[in-house]
Amino acid sequence: MRLLLVEDELDIQGFLKRSLEEAGYQVEAAADGKAAERLAIDGAFDILIVDLGLPDQDGIALILRLRQLGVRAPVLILSARRSVDDRVRGLEQGGDDYLTKPFAMAELLARLRNLLKRKNPPGNEITRLRVLDLELDLLRREASRSGQILQLTPQEFVLLEYFCRNAGRVVTRSMILDQVWGMRIHPDTNVVDVHIYRLRGKVDSNGQQPLIKTLRGVGYVLKDR
Amino acid sequence: MSSKTGNPKLRSAAWRISLWATLAFAFGTMLVFVFLQWFVENDIKRRSDAWLSGEVEVLGNVAKRTPKNRLYGRVVGEVAELAGREVPNKLPSESNANNSVFFLQRGADNSLQLWVGAGSGEDTLRAIVPRRMLPDQPTDIRVNGFAIPFRVACLRIDDGSQIYLGLSERDELRVLNSLRLRFLLLWMLIVVFGFAIVFLTTKRMLSHVRRITEAASRIGHSDLNTRVPTTQRNDEVAQLGLTLNRMLDRIENSMHQLHTITDSLAHDLRSPLTAIRGKLEMSLSATSHGDQAEPIVSAIEELDRLAEFLNQSLDVAEAKADALRLTRNPIDLAELIRVMIDLYEPSMTEKGLQIQFPSPSSATIEADAALIHRMIANLFDNELKHLPAACTVTIRIQTEDDSVSLIFEDNGPGFSPEVLPLLFEGRVKGRGSNGHGLGLAFIDAVARAHDGTVTAGNRETGGAHVTVTLPLDSRENIGSSIAVHAAK
Repeated sequence: MRLLLVEDELDIQGFLKRSLEEAGYQVEAAADGKAAERLAIDGAFDILIVDLGLPDQDGIALILRLRQLGVRAPVLILSARRSVDDRVRGLEQGGDDYLTKPFAMAELLARLRNLLKRKNPPGNEITRLRVLDLELDLLRREASRSGQILQLTPQEFVLLEYFCRNAGRVVTRSMILDQVWGMRIHPDTNVVDVHIYRLRGKVDSNGQQPLIKTLRGVGYVLKDR
Repeated sequence: MSSKTGNPKLRSAAWRISLWATLAFAFGTMLVFVFLQWFVENDIKRRSDAWLSGEVEVLGNVAKRTPKNRLYGRVVGEVAELAGREVPNKLPSESNANNSVFFLQRGADNSLQLWVGAGSGEDTLRAIVPRRMLPDQPTDIRVNGFAIPFRVACLRIDDGSQIYLGLSERDELRVLNSLRLRFLLLWMLIVVFGFAIVFLTTKRMLSHVRRITEAASRIGHSDLNTRVPTTQRNDEVAQLGLTLNRMLDRIENSMHQLHTITDSLAHDLRSPLTAIRGKLEMSLSATSHGDQAEPIVSAIEELDRLAEFLNQSLDVAEAKADALRLTRNPIDLAELIRVMIDLYEPSMTEKGLQIQFPSPSSATIEADAALIHRMIANLFDNELKHLPAACTVTIRIQTEDDSVSLIFEDNGPGFSPEVLPLLFEGRVKGRGSNGHGLGLAFIDAVARAHDGTVTAGNRETGGAHVTVTLPLDSRENIGSSIAVHAAK
């Protein structure tokens, strides 16, 4: 996966490049709009990360310019500004995504995956999810582990489904709140942790190998091996 | 003045202005006319009296000097008739009989000695006899069969008889009457016409003002692009519109400035936060020892809290300046509370708290989803952080005509008295709270941005309450408040 990173703050560019490379992306970085344009024309990129506040031009202007030049790759917009202005909303509707600084790396990676998935949508909808000995029937809304049915509330099922769809990948509390409850909030209480704790009690019960792992300071991960 | 009863037109300023203007005009013109009429009436009377006094004197002399023989009647009668032809202001009468003047001589025994005039004179004699009259002072005497009283002068002559000369002012009064009638008709026409003109003009003028008011109230917190309508004319109303628009330009400018400041402040703080967070995450993934990871984990958590605090502070600051930018969408408050309860219930149960939500009706508001979500999460967080175990939180939704109230009540210890007056100030936190103390200030800010209010305090039965009241449909609400203002 070739990724073009357009970010003027070298500190941020540095750690993003390293983290993205660790996640398996082949990263080219540009610190301003001109460099980004040159790189974008030369190399075919699968995805772009563009910071809105560039020194030589506005990030949105750059994206529109690249689109004119024939760059079709989806764009993840980064912004440290407060408001999502209308032009960004327009781009969001065009299939691109938006992330506010500061962000968790896990969330950035999840957004990138979603953008790439949207570009190549899967042929048919899955009705079953399987992670190790955990199995989810999406039609009957039933979950079982090692053949044993788990007694889950509807909300817990949605939560577990989200974990299974992202098995092996880190999910943050913000991502869970956004995807499972549909809210972009940042409570300063442990609401999500208690939900996970309950779910874990049902999924990882009676001495089985624990599947839901807590990564302190980062989030949670559902083990897939 | 009640704004909900009565015809709104009757309470409009145009109606009042035209009513008062017309009343003043009608009263003034009426006063002038009454004075003129009084003046004319007096003048007629004065002239009649002068004539009467002169003529009665002459007739008295004639009666005195004429010997009382059988010619007496003819002589005096003819003199009287001649005098009658010289009546002042006389109109040509249809009949030959001159019934506007009479001459009467009354004997000492109250008998009719001589009569010159229309009819027999008996009626006139009967009218005169009971009256005590002074010479040289003409009086009004009403005679049977005549609508208008006669002006009568009298003179006593030596033989004990009295002579009376009477003059009817009916011709003058008829003219005066017809003048009065015409004036009244014209006066009414002018008054009605004047009222219509004043009403239509003021209404037209004030409708410009109303359009300006409507447009001005449509210009909400976040929508400062529109301007009030202006007219081509250079009158006061046009000036008002221009002034308002200039004011809006300035407000928009300072609003823009404020947004630029908060944006750049956010940018300048978030960029280093992003870099720090990234580096912390990288060193966290590099460390495998739990002991070394602990400080990094707590640093990341602190940093996230700081970022959220920054967001809320800037929201509160912008809301205090009425400059918070909203993206309104329909939100079902009851449904949202159900989802929130689903999210918070496990944590509450964990802490030994109960939630009651007895009002499952739907209440849809037009609001900014992200802000409302964060506001309600804040309300739940407050309860979760501050309530001791075994307490109950009761959430209610009350729908009024044009607003909906979201009420959080608990049976805990309530707000402590020292923070009670400072609840919405921000930077206030109860003992043992690890928040930033922005909670209620943020809730207040979000409610304000949506034209709502927040009240908080302690309940009489113990425990705290927070009530957020939001308008049900802001657009409709603005429309009706205009109607009320216009009606006032």
